[in-house]
Amino acid sequence: MNLELLGNLLRLRYRLIWAKTRSRSGKIALFMSGYLLLIVTIALLAAGGLGAGAIAVRAGKATEIAAVALFGVYLCATIGTVILGFGMNAIFAESEMRRYPLRARERELARHIVAMLDPYWYLVVGLDLGLLVGLYLYGAGFFLLGAIAVLLLYVCNYVTARVVSTIVERMVARRGGSTLLMMAIMALSLGPSFLMPYLQQHPHAVHPYLVWGKWTPPYGAALAMTRADLSAVWGLGLIVLWTALLGAAMVALERRPARARVATSGKLQWASRYERVGAFLGPQNAILIGQWLRFFSRNNRFRMMYPLSLPLVGFMIYAFTRQPGMAHGAKVEFASAMGAFTIIGFIGTGQFAVNQFGYVGNGLRRYLLLPADPAVALRSSSYTFALLDAVLIAVGLLVWPFVSRGPFDPLMMPLLAGCSLTGMFLYLAAGLWVSLLAARRGNYYSSFGNDLSFAGNVVLIVSMLSLVFLPRVAANRWPDVFWSGYWWVTLAAAAAAAGIYWMSLDRASAWFRVRRERLLATMEGRS
Amino acid sequence: MSAAILMRNLVKKYGQVVAVEDLSLDVPKGSMFGFLGPNGSGKSTTIGCLTGLLDPSAGEMEILGERFTAESADLKRRMGVMPETLGLFEPLYAHEFLAFVARMFGLDETTTRTRVTELLAALELTDTRKTLAEFSTGMRKRVAFAAAVIHSPEVLFLDEPFESIDPAGVALMKQWLRRFTEQGRTVFITSHVLDTVERLCTAVAIITKPGKLVWQGDITVLANDGSISYEGQEFRALEPLFLHLTGQHYADLNWL
Repeated sequence: MNLELLGNLLRLRYRLIWAKTRSRSGKIALFMSGYLLLIVTIALLAAGGLGAGAIAVRAGKATEIAAVALFGVYLCATIGTVILGFGMNAIFAESEMRRYPLRARERELARHIVAMLDPYWYLVVGLDLGLLVGLYLYGAGFFLLGAIAVLLLYVCNYVTARVVSTIVERMVARRGGSTLLMMAIMALSLGPSFLMPYLQQHPHAVHPYLVWGKWTPPYGAALAMTRADLSAVWGLGLIVLWTALLGAAMVALERRPARARVATSGKLQWASRYERVGAFLGPQNAILIGQWLRFFSRNNRFRMMYPLSLPLVGFMIYAFTRQPGMAHGAKVEFASAMGAFTIIGFIGTGQFAVNQFGYVGNGLRRYLLLPADPAVALRSSSYTFALLDAVLIAVGLLVWPFVSRGPFDPLMMPLLAGCSLTGMFLYLAAGLWVSLLAARRGNYYSSFGNDLSFAGNVVLIVSMLSLVFLPRVAANRWPDVFWSGYWWVTLAAAAAAAGIYWMSLDRASAWFRVRRERLLATMEGRS
Repeated sequence: MSAAILMRNLVKKYGQVVAVEDLSLDVPKGSMFGFLGPNGSGKSTTIGCLTGLLDPSAGEMEILGERFTAESADLKRRMGVMPETLGLFEPLYAHEFLAFVARMFGLDETTTRTRVTELLAALELTDTRKTLAEFSTGMRKRVAFAAAVIHSPEVLFLDEPFESIDPAGVALMKQWLRRFTEQGRTVFITSHVLDTVERLCTAVAIITKPGKLVWQGDITVLANDGSISYEGQEFRALEPLFLHLTGQHYADLNWL
């Protein structure tokens, strides 16, 4: 193994992280504070793990509690990696590695070592180590064996995440794979919420399944952390066995080339259904909106998120509002529905609307060469999002009478439509500005990961979370405000929001002309 | 002959960095005009200003006798551009992309389909199962070239058009460009392939960093075994003239 070259690659990885921030002095400060925050977070997580260790020993079920805690960390680390792309972005592509004088095995090993030493994994190890220290201090297990278990579990967790993300990548490359995958994720997320009432009534029903948990790597690590006998060695062996099996799967998957999706027919398809849909917003917009629709219809992220955004909103409202301490009651439920419909106004296109040109790359240059006002690209993409959001709003309103739990009142329909339209217009207005002022180049072909700027994330996440929780809080405090008699208020709000949107569109168009050179540089990867 | 492209005292600055300095050019109608300069000398920036991608910091531009700005939509309809970074929408198929460009430039549906089909066949872009992202660099260049000419523009801007294209493709493009100028249209080309420029262009302008014009003139004399006189020296080819004007020389690394 060429250790010197590996060291150089690691340094390169960290230089690349640094390079992303050094373009402006403010970003350097942000980077430094980010790292300080990371250290503090690791310390806090370690402290949390330590507390969990203490509780585990005091409860007299050190192994079981440690296994549950480790399993939680293991699962979160895997999901964080697969869905948000944490840690995986560090991996150098095989084509990049081939530039250096490394053998095939060295390249493979170097790629994974660089990825494993990404800051994200420090958080995971921090949590596991905290738990180990907590267990050790309160007298459970043998520290050295536990430390080995933490390291082995970390390697196993990385390999698991790599296998899952490769499977996911392959799956989303197939037609319909993205939607299937998202459905699987939602089923996994929703499952516990639906199963919980049953399990509360039949607590023993779960026991036969828990036995299988004793064959998992986190349980092996828990054994090694809490026992000082042969079972600890068995625990370590279990992790090694899993790592070997998953490692073999990882190698097999990586060596099997991904099958590219190709058109089945060699004939030119002239069907311009996208342009026909685009023509709903006027013939002058038809071509551009048709172009945007075609562009997004081939994007895995969009194909995955858009059809599932309605069920996702339903899930969010269902899951979050059932937390202990949340208020209940007919008016509170209806307030919740108002929040949900406001989210429906933008969720389907939310991550694109705050980074309108993020996936266009060099294509932005083409828009500027067209015989039209340069800002036409900004406006047409915004209209496209409005069109797509309007479809979701219409579907949501059609479904509402069948899923509402209280008595149905026809006045609810204009009221909820008003909420959705208000959400849509305000979000699109905010999206225009974020797209202009905080644009970020994304990866069109990646199905997962977060391609938004800080401002984009703030707008998207704050909008969603506040609309999930605030309506319930407000309904609890002012219950009389939330009833269908006030339907006209939301329509008035929608009209006001539309006004804000048109004004923003006008002002942002002027700003687009001024900022287009900077946007071009961002999208073409020059800044 | 009237000017197809006219630039007066064009300046482009990025903050304190000057990319183009006081550049003035006259490109006659119907000419094949080569715009040359070393890497980083401001050729693409100049084309960016001339095509509305960039706003000049100072100076005036006229195209086909009309003042040109980024918002001159009517003028843009009469121009074709093949930008340096191509500006393709990678998830699209070649015919979808070309049809989009054609429709945006106002071609009717029948003309769009006819021209797209003919261009794809002529440029050998007939693999309709591949998206632009899956095309090779040369094929992507051909698509960008097709997008630049699909609406029969009166002025054509080509930024490094021949790089990565195979000899047959280059020959075809050159043939089209010659016919293009014979019809009184104008071609403005940047290229580092000086042999090609020498054979193809009727006039060239040479700039150095930062976007400063050092020479402009007719080069048809070179094709007839003649020479160009400059500062008492005779240049029988474009390359030595270019190297002389730009002050470039071949570095000698003894370990190489």
